[in-house]
Amino acid sequence: MIRGSCRRFPADVGADRYREWTAELSAILDDASIRSSFLRALRALAFCAGIATTARQLSRPARADYRSAGNERWRTGAPRTRPGAMAVRVAIGLAAYLIVAGLVTVTTGLTAGSHLGAWPLLLVVPLGIGFDAYCLRDIARAADVRYLRKWVWALICLAQTPLGGILYLAIGRIGPAQPLPPMPPRT
Amino acid sequence: MKLTAPLERVLRVLVADPGASHYGYDLMKAARVPSGTLYPMLARLQQEGLVDSQWEDQRPDAGGRPPRKYYRLTAEGARVARLELARATTAASGTRHVAAWPAHGSPS
Repeated sequence: MIRGSCRRFPADVGADRYREWTAELSAILDDASIRSSFLRALRALAFCAGIATTARQLSRPARADYRSAGNERWRTGAPRTRPGAMAVRVAIGLAAYLIVAGLVTVTTGLTAGSHLGAWPLLLVVPLGIGFDAYCLRDIARAADVRYLRKWVWALICLAQTPLGGILYLAIGRIGPAQPLPPMPPRT
Repeated sequence: MKLTAPLERVLRVLVADPGASHYGYDLMKAARVPSGTLYPMLARLQQEGLVDSQWEDQRPDAGGRPPRKYYRLTAEGARVARLELARATTAASGTRHVAAWPAHGSPS
């Protein structure tokens, strides 16, 4: 957690912060004034959460300057997308969804009377789980997503399988993370 | 810089012994400030030259624990902190007077 937070800083500052905060962490874990080790662990966790907040706050000005300096590809390498392309992707996604849903419905209807029963419906469950997992993995690995926070997209994907995932892929997805361009030195 | 309640508590801890160095967890406990508040605050203070920091030397008796970063008020920092705290105290007692004032005039 601390290591991840320190990645927000330029390498040298991040390394310095990492050494400082891990030393604090071991001070908390060795704190003899808190007798219960569970409480110590809780406090260490709270400490790490605070570190994440700190890193977000402290690294913001540098990144904001960098972004406003006209460096549009500052993080994801993603150019702005045109609304037309987005509509096409939504349409493709919906069409794919309707085809799959239609196939499942038809095959369920065909097999309803036979000994096969409702097996195509059982096929839908792993399909949905797999699609959700794919979307969540994509969100987790992306450096950035469009319009909403990552966790909001993740919730949307989970809440509306598969429509949420289709919306994410069509609208929110930017693509795999590009390597960061070198950060400007912090002043 | 605006003197917030957590900042005031941290400054009071630091001013109590201006020469002493504190590490982050020490300050968190003494001033009852969470880490997410303390470190941005320290970074701001350091940027304004009111606080400086240094790494502790690796001592052989430390039992192999990693070296800590210690924070200390600069001379300027001590001056500013005392000033701000004195101002805060005056303001606080001023508010108390105002709050107590109607009681003087009440017929009882």
